[in-house]
Amino acid sequence: MIRKIKRAWGGRPARKFRRNRLAVAALSLIGVYVAVGLCVMACDFARAVGSATKWWDVPQEGWVHFFTVQRADSEVGPLEMTGWLESQTPEKRLRDAEFTIGKFRNAMRRTPLSGLERIRLGELRVDLSEGEEAVAKLKVKLAEIQELRDKLNESQDLNVDGAAAAGLDELETRISDLFKPMTAGEKLRQAITMSLGTDRNGRSIMMRAVYSVKVAIQVGLVVGLVSVFIGSLLGAAAAYFGGWVDHAVVWLYSTLSSLPDLVLLAVLVFMFTGSMFDDVTKPWLSLVPLYCAMCATFWIGPCRVIRGEILKIKQLEYIQAATAVGFGRFYILVKHAIPNTMHIMFINFSLLFIAAIKNEVVLSFLGLGVKVGPSWGRMIQESTPQVINGFFWQIGAATVFMFFLVLAFNVLSDALQDAFDPKHVG
Amino acid sequence: MWPYILRRLLYSIPVYLGIILIVMAALRVNDPVAAYLGKNATEEQIRLKREAMGLDRPFLVQYGLFLKRIVTFDFGSPQNPYESWKFEGQQVSTKIAESVPATLAHTVPALIITTLISIGVSLLSAYYRGSLLDRTLMVLVVLGMSVSVLVFIIFGQYFGAYWLTEKVGTPIFATGYDAEQGLKAWRYNYMLPVFITVIVAMGYDTRFYRSVMVEETGRDYITTAIAKGATKPKIMCVHMLKNAMIPVITRIMITLPFLMAGSFLIESQFRIPGMGKLLLDALTNKDFPIIQAFTAIFAGVFILTNILTDVLYALVDPRVRLS
Repeated sequence: MIRKIKRAWGGRPARKFRRNRLAVAALSLIGVYVAVGLCVMACDFARAVGSATKWWDVPQEGWVHFFTVQRADSEVGPLEMTGWLESQTPEKRLRDAEFTIGKFRNAMRRTPLSGLERIRLGELRVDLSEGEEAVAKLKVKLAEIQELRDKLNESQDLNVDGAAAAGLDELETRISDLFKPMTAGEKLRQAITMSLGTDRNGRSIMMRAVYSVKVAIQVGLVVGLVSVFIGSLLGAAAAYFGGWVDHAVVWLYSTLSSLPDLVLLAVLVFMFTGSMFDDVTKPWLSLVPLYCAMCATFWIGPCRVIRGEILKIKQLEYIQAATAVGFGRFYILVKHAIPNTMHIMFINFSLLFIAAIKNEVVLSFLGLGVKVGPSWGRMIQESTPQVINGFFWQIGAATVFMFFLVLAFNVLSDALQDAFDPKHVG
Repeated sequence: MWPYILRRLLYSIPVYLGIILIVMAALRVNDPVAAYLGKNATEEQIRLKREAMGLDRPFLVQYGLFLKRIVTFDFGSPQNPYESWKFEGQQVSTKIAESVPATLAHTVPALIITTLISIGVSLLSAYYRGSLLDRTLMVLVVLGMSVSVLVFIIFGQYFGAYWLTEKVGTPIFATGYDAEQGLKAWRYNYMLPVFITVIVAMGYDTRFYRSVMVEETGRDYITTAIAKGATKPKIMCVHMLKNAMIPVITRIMITLPFLMAGSFLIESQFRIPGMGKLLLDALTNKDFPIIQAFTAIFAGVFILTNILTDVLYALVDPRVRLS
């Protein structure tokens, strides 16, 4: 196995590929994306296995909880905060302060102790174990803060008013004083979480965009692998065995390709509604209709190409030689014919990967794809009303994350085509 | 020619029957009536709805009856009603007929403009192959292809409609379809969607056409033309372009059925009441009759265009034999 990989790495196509610096850069970028996706998947998987089988005691804190759907879906701060590049306007800062004050007011309304515990914005400075005394202390502080806020609210123009600017700074320090000062690690984590701002539900855009990498990689991998596998298997069998196998496969793909993706998808979505795959509580099952719809049409491409290639290979001398030596038909197909179509499978896989990611985003945008947790498509869909108000952070984040992945795959598939197919002009 | 077309039509009958069979079976895996009426429906309601639609009959009978509808092209008429579930009292045939013009009004201009521009740009690119212009164009195309369609649509809508309206003062393009004016106000309702579609589709088309043209320029007849002293413009625009037309026509023909379905993203974002939006709405409303009829019609159109493509092939390229 290792020898084979070594030989392939030194081969002519690989050398040609490595000379293409852009392609190598693209491949590394894809590597980064896949690594991020795998990290998120590993976190998910470790928690799922731990909680399901009790083999492993899942800790309450720590690395396994760094990427979770719950975290990507939970509120981390005020709504529609801008990211690190853009400074907040004074009005927005006042509104954000108002948001935090509102959180405290709501928490203290009925049962202050349990309400305060639910505030997730940071660790409170007052010690809640002191009971009522702590709440009373907090009330005094909060009253001061509210007074300051009311004064600021009266100010006509926060941009011009010098005293108001100072007051705003004071207000913000007082609010952050309600929480314990953060350690360096926590500060870094906070900075990363807030680096791209928050969406209209106060969720971290950064966390959502990163979690969506996992969704995209997962959909791309599953759809790409399954389609290429089914397609090449059926295509090779059809071409090699001929006869009724060929007729059946050709009928199947001409039938399925007579239904455009959209319509087929419509049928499949309709088919799965209300079934066990429509369950919002099980995110891994809710992706199954998406996979089915894409695989049902995507396998046709590789199937056609590989069928043509095997038809050509079948006539070549080395297959005749293998037959003359006395190898079985199945053995020749698997050992001699299919390995010579490997490069086509690679190219097709990389093309299908892009198509799957793009489709996933569009379908999630329309509400037919990912229904639980974040996805770039859902982020773009949620950001549509924000764009009108001039808030571009969410749509920007989703677009940039997706852009680089798709671009890298576009460059990669071009380079693969160049490397493997010298006759191909591009 | 005619025997070929006839034979192709005959061959496509089993394919079409197969599609209808698969689709009808797939749509019935989950009870469509229960899905439409939701969890709170009573047994009686479900039974009545099922009987009204004929869903209580054996599958083969339903298959036969639906085939009869397709053959007579009767998706709902006063004598033989086939009503939409969501829009009670409206026949599916009228719903579909209403949505066709709205879709064609933006997809046909978009296709024509895209094709003309991309052939022009790719010809330019192939003419100056390897030059700075060619490379810049191709980089731009790859970058454009990597940006999600959604972004083009949303930002197109934002800058074309909101931003421009604010700058100019009067609305030039609609943010959402104005049903009262409809087709009469074509510029207001349809211009922006067409523009966005052209920008999105241009990248893919240009890249494909360029690679076809570059491949053609490597052929022997081009060498012959150079040898006999033909000028470069003549070689590129006459000899090469004619031969490059075959894949170009195929590509255009492949997109033809999608003219009917419309770009469903564009339609849903601009609220154009076309066929794409009809299907999308039917999906969200679980409107079974519309989905079933739409699928059948669409598959038929698809098969017919496939046959048409092969016939056109033979017309453009005399080397292709129809046998």
